Amino acid sequence: MKGQHKEVLFGLYDDEVVLMNAIKKAKKQHLDIMDVYSPFPIHGLDTVLELEESRLHVVGFVFGMLGTLTALIGMSWIFGGSLLFEGDWPTNFGGKPYWSLPAFVPIIFELTVLFCAIGMTVVFYIICGLGFGVNNPVLDDRITDDKFCLAFQTNNMDSSSVDNLKGFFKATGAEEVHSRTI
Amino acid sequence: MKQFTFEAKQKNFLIATMGLGLLCLVLSYFLEPEQIAAAGVHARFWSNFLVNAVFFTGMAFMITFVIAAFTVAYAGWYVIFKRIWEAFSLFLIPGLVMMVIIGIAVYAHLNHLYHWSDTEAVAGDRVLTGKASFLNKNWYLFGTLIIVGAWIFFARKFRQLSLQEDASGKEVANYGIHRNLRKYAAVFLPIAAFTGPAMVWQWVMSLDAHWYSTLFAWYSMTSWWLGACALTIMLVIYLKSKGYLEQVTKEHLHDLGKFMFAFSIFWTYCWFSQYMLIWYTNNGEETVYFFQRKNDFPVLFFGNLVINFVLPFLILMRNTTKRRFGTLFFTAALVFVGHWFDYFYMIKPGVLNTAVEAMAHGKEGGHEAAGHAVEHASSFVAGFTIPGLLELGIFLGFTAFFIYFVFNQLSKAPLIPQNDPYLEESLHHEVQAYE
Repeated sequence: MKGQHKEVLFGLYDDEVVLMNAIKKAKKQHLDIMDVYSPFPIHGLDTVLELEESRLHVVGFVFGMLGTLTALIGMSWIFGGSLLFEGDWPTNFGGKPYWSLPAFVPIIFELTVLFCAIGMTVVFYIICGLGFGVNNPVLDDRITDDKFCLAFQTNNMDSSSVDNLKGFFKATGAEEVHSRTI
Repeated sequence: MKQFTFEAKQKNFLIATMGLGLLCLVLSYFLEPEQIAAAGVHARFWSNFLVNAVFFTGMAFMITFVIAAFTVAYAGWYVIFKRIWEAFSLFLIPGLVMMVIIGIAVYAHLNHLYHWSDTEAVAGDRVLTGKASFLNKNWYLFGTLIIVGAWIFFARKFRQLSLQEDASGKEVANYGIHRNLRKYAAVFLPIAAFTGPAMVWQWVMSLDAHWYSTLFAWYSMTSWWLGACALTIMLVIYLKSKGYLEQVTKEHLHDLGKFMFAFSIFWTYCWFSQYMLIWYTNNGEETVYFFQRKNDFPVLFFGNLVINFVLPFLILMRNTTKRRFGTLFFTAALVFVGHWFDYFYMIKPGVLNTAVEAMAHGKEGGHEAAGHAVEHASSFVAGFTIPGLLELGIFLGFTAFFIYFVFNQLSKAPLIPQNDPYLEESLHHEVQAYE
């Protein structure tokens, strides 16, 4: 939603248990939660928010396989001796055959791990909207320290619904309620 | 149900399977493969006994080690099925009996599993003379007695303290019994770390008396632990299907599955590290070990990797497979058989070599027969090249013996250690996985 400003109404909680109960209540009342912010991962939060399983591990598998293939094809191209390649620079190591799988295994393993790690990190940054030059608005700095935040988007919402949300925050024990446009 | 009852039906089935195993074991005494029959050492019988005795004793040892490690590490999740592991660990007692039978036979030259036990051969051999201070019949028999005896002391102590805790745990102030257990566990860990490898070098690695590998103990002890872990998974799922252990959920089994998955990879790492260094260095005295196994025992060599690495790796990679009892049970069965197969692969070629060498100084036409046998050793040797029907029968028999022993121990104490300080943690164990 580039270019469009979000009006956000958010409540700050002091305790993650209170926050969890508030989320459960919000889910029961079918309120549309925008997001939840916490300084640390809360056990069971994903289940309560009914989030779908992340597909990041599929990305990891694909990048890992890419690394495996890169290493295997790369070394086959350099050393030759296989069906596909003649060998760009065949080198004799200790009298072993040019194409010797046991010697390739550590390199295959390392490139698999490297591709997997870098690929997953980059994709994770992209899907989270992070990266160089990106300036993400933070609702409140204390979210990264000791406050737990539950946020609702209030664009196109009439004042009675907003009041309803404020009442909800009060009822569930939020310490502070703020609204911001980001 | 808090108390396990060992039903007559289960008993009969297990005893019948044990009978089958015993029958196969006796048959293998007489059905010596023709290539080495002239040596008259009953290599097939003794090696079959050794494979199973070492495999099952080692599983009991590794479980004792894991109980100690988990206790020292303040682990709580496993407490709910801890009784099964305690029962496993006590199998060290019949294990000691079996290993001592082999030790006495080595001592009295009743078998010919180990080339180093042949004094005539050692005298003319610089390498074996140099190793004689460790590879000798006294070390084998009395080392086994003392070391496995020490393991039994600790296994019994862990069990005893756990039962004591069950009876009076909450009355003893400040979890005194559990603290005591933790002390014993901490003492056992370094002892196990040094004596475990010493035993596996004696029992298994010294079959190829000239060969050695510093990674061998890591690799073979991981194999024991994986076998035990797989058997735990199968027994837990079985007991659940019988209505016991209803508080053991798929969360616990998921973690056991993760252990099986991760250690399968660790096992492969050890296996490959050992293989690749020897392959790369290509020292004749080291390479011969793998050269022979790869060329004369290809089914064992490659089958071992497929069944213990490729299959569990691919099957257990996803979360869901570790949380479904059917898939998990199937993989556990595969891994359990796979690690028995691994011991078969470690032990059989070495025993065959010793038998062939024994023929060289047999009384009648020794050298000629030995030359003949070497020729034949590279062809199919019944009970050595691949596990035959007799070997599978013996394996089933020993498995039944192990399970009979475990069930018998389980029936002697409540299934749930109700006063363990970590029980509550174990009951609420959750790994937060999507399905």
